[in-house]
Amino acid sequence: MPVDASPGDFESALKPLWLRAQSGDDVAYRQALGLLATRLRGYLKRRLSGLPDEVEDLVQETLLALHLQRGTYDPPLPVSAWVVAIARHKLVDLWRRRGRRDSLHDAIDDVDEQLLVAEPDDGGAHRDLERLFDELPHAQRQAIVLTKLEGLSVAEAAARTGASESAIKVQVHRGLKRLAALVRKDG
Amino acid sequence: MKTDTLIDLLSRQAGPAPRALVARRLSPAALAGLVASALAAITWFGPIPATMFATAVPWTKMVYAGALALAAGWLTARLSRPAAPLQRPQRAVFAVVGVMAMMGGVSLVSEPAGGRVQALLGHSWSSCPWSVLALSLPGLAAALWAVRGLAPTRPLAAGFAAGLMAGSVGAFGYALSCPEASSAFVAVWYSLGIALTGIVGAVLGSRVLRW
Repeated sequence: MPVDASPGDFESALKPLWLRAQSGDDVAYRQALGLLATRLRGYLKRRLSGLPDEVEDLVQETLLALHLQRGTYDPPLPVSAWVVAIARHKLVDLWRRRGRRDSLHDAIDDVDEQLLVAEPDDGGAHRDLERLFDELPHAQRQAIVLTKLEGLSVAEAAARTGASESAIKVQVHRGLKRLAALVRKDG
Repeated sequence: MKTDTLIDLLSRQAGPAPRALVARRLSPAALAGLVASALAAITWFGPIPATMFATAVPWTKMVYAGALALAAGWLTARLSRPAAPLQRPQRAVFAVVGVMAMMGGVSLVSEPAGGRVQALLGHSWSSCPWSVLALSLPGLAAALWAVRGLAPTRPLAAGFAAGLMAGSVGAFGYALSCPEASSAFVAVWYSLGIALTGIVGAVLGSRVLRW
């Protein structure tokens, strides 16, 4: 599927996938998020030319927001309009946060030692979401690790932990929400 | 973490998207605000005499406040979903306020010239907007909390709409203890109280509705 086709083509490729994803098709959801990631990377690269390191972080932050807020998508709307509105919101939020933090840095830190020991870019994101997982409460982290990383079904994860299936789902959702909040705090 | 890993993680066993999410969050907030404002109005200000319910006086206020709460709730719902069109709910808000303003105007004109100022100001014009605002605060807190869990990309506007909704709900409760009889009074001072709540909502919204 060409990702640099015209917006109309992109929408007509994305929308059927997205609608299937909304009704519970995980494979279609994975594909839709993949298409969107590529689009978002381009969209954000053009707007963050002064901050190239932030692009992939913001792609990930936006994907997380899309996932957490997918209940606010309304089928009559173009999916891409909904996505762009969220991406723009995240971009403005980043500028606002950076503006504040950068002015603090100017005042306090003439030399930031953190910068010297910063790890090299591995081609992925700058920020390590896995590190942030460690800050989640135990039950939330466990639910995410079991169902999302180890690939256990919700029923298996429930049996393993002794929690109910709905409790597992709630912990996964809360954990991802908490993760999104940590990401914002992390800068 | 690589972006592909994140996508795997998000999509794995994601299941269907939650349905009617916006309504499920906003309706309980509006309902909680309604109960809080009705209880507070009856406890603090006392109820109007039961015989008044045989007249149109409390009903006019409640229909106005109820209709405006619905229109503003519609607008709030739209502002809680990214890229949703706003035109129709905005028109609905203007239409409700416009009809009430016309009713107030007509009632004022049909009043004898000497009684118009009295009809407009009643005996509680200076306290009415503040009472509406005070009764709206629990609903405003609930509404902002509800919107915060959704996806408002225009925090100021979303806060204003949530404030209009909470203000209308607060005015609905205030109608249970307000003895003013003139439609002109309602059109001016109720609307002012609701607008004040909208402004408080906008100010709070621009700070609180971050996600």
